[in-house]
Amino acid sequence: MSIGIGLFLFVFAGMFDYDLELSEHVYTGEGLIWMFVAIIITSIGMFVFWRQDLSFDGTYEPLATGSPFRNIQIRKVGMFVFLMSEMMVFTSLFSTYMRYRLGLRRCDDVFADGLFDPVTNPTGWQEAVPVTCFEPASHLIASSWWHLAPGAVNTFALIISSFTIVQALRYAKKTDIDEELRRRRVTMFLGTTWVLAILFLTLKMVEWFVGFYIPDLGFIHEHEIKSLVAEGYTIGADHYQHHSYVDEATGAHMTANIRVSASTFYVTTGTHGAHVAGGIIGLTYMTYKAWRGGYTPTNAVSIEYFGLYWHFVDLVWVIVFPFFYLY
Amino acid sequence: MANYKILGRDPYWMNFYGLMILTAIEVGAVGADMSSTAEALNMSEDGITLWILTIIAIPKFFMIAAIFMHLYGDPDSGILTMTALFPAFFIIIMILFIGLTHPDAATGLPAWCRPGTWGL
Repeated sequence: MSIGIGLFLFVFAGMFDYDLELSEHVYTGEGLIWMFVAIIITSIGMFVFWRQDLSFDGTYEPLATGSPFRNIQIRKVGMFVFLMSEMMVFTSLFSTYMRYRLGLRRCDDVFADGLFDPVTNPTGWQEAVPVTCFEPASHLIASSWWHLAPGAVNTFALIISSFTIVQALRYAKKTDIDEELRRRRVTMFLGTTWVLAILFLTLKMVEWFVGFYIPDLGFIHEHEIKSLVAEGYTIGADHYQHHSYVDEATGAHMTANIRVSASTFYVTTGTHGAHVAGGIIGLTYMTYKAWRGGYTPTNAVSIEYFGLYWHFVDLVWVIVFPFFYLY
Repeated sequence: MANYKILGRDPYWMNFYGLMILTAIEVGAVGADMSSTAEALNMSEDGITLWILTIIAIPKFFMIAAIFMHLYGDPDSGILTMTALFPAFFIIIMILFIGLTHPDAATGLPAWCRPGTWGL
């Protein structure tokens, strides 16, 4: 599986080339066959792993024998070590964001300097001359409750899913209930977690690419909420125009090169989204296993280990949401 | 699973309620008009929002790690917490030396600190 995933990432990165004339990444399709090979290797790895796991009855869970982890499940320690390496990945993304956020001037501050005038305002911005500045995604997202809605709903969805995965573990470990009730409860809680994860990614797509429309309901006015991409907030945006960057007196627009800020936003939230997508694959299998009655009080460690991963995904969102979506 | 209670109730439910409330406050803080508070504290409105968001994010982080991830209250919590804290040193280094420096920091270094000065 590691070879398959590694090959996939390696080939995927090589499928795009930076076009200097167009100033954007273009799809070359180079190595497409290897991408399919990588997907097949990963799928076979997962199939073998899950086939073995389906027949695993939990009677042999290896425990560490040496200090300092004596008598602790080896796989649990391994899971924590894996999560800490993941923490380093997100820290590097977050420190990149901080570096640019603190190092570049905010676009609204640049706009506040006013329109360029050789005598009265020599340091001001000029129309059609893009300014390199930091435009946080929150300037669009936190501009109204409707814009914020997908991100806010996602935050609640992740917290609820963290809770449902704990409940799935609790019911799997319960010894005072009959087998059928346990099977139904564990399936229900894992299934709910799966639905919430799907909701998270769906709303993420709506926020990034699709947007949404609110009809006039009398108590709610008609709204059309554009997606971030439709607003021009893209990683290649070197002539970005926020609708508020207009000089009232002359009607001149300030344009900004926001590639750095958009890249930090999409890469960080996209990496988080990729982790949610990975979780959905795992949850699909686990829900199936639960439906078959595969989780018992002596065999619930998979839920526990997956739960650790899922809580970590929630933990990252606790940091990402306020700093990338709200501030 | 947790063998303790929070205020006499199930810790997972209590943690869940707490996280929901804190998130609601977080979202509300962004929409709230804090211009008068900002003026009274001689700070920018953005600065106040940042403080509120940071202050709320910290307990949320610990609530998830301690209660949902069982880094508190289980027999193996101590050593697993130490394992989880291991990269903290590297995280601090990254935040302090990368996150908080200026993008042009390398070019702004004094001459004696640049490549070539010591024959390198």
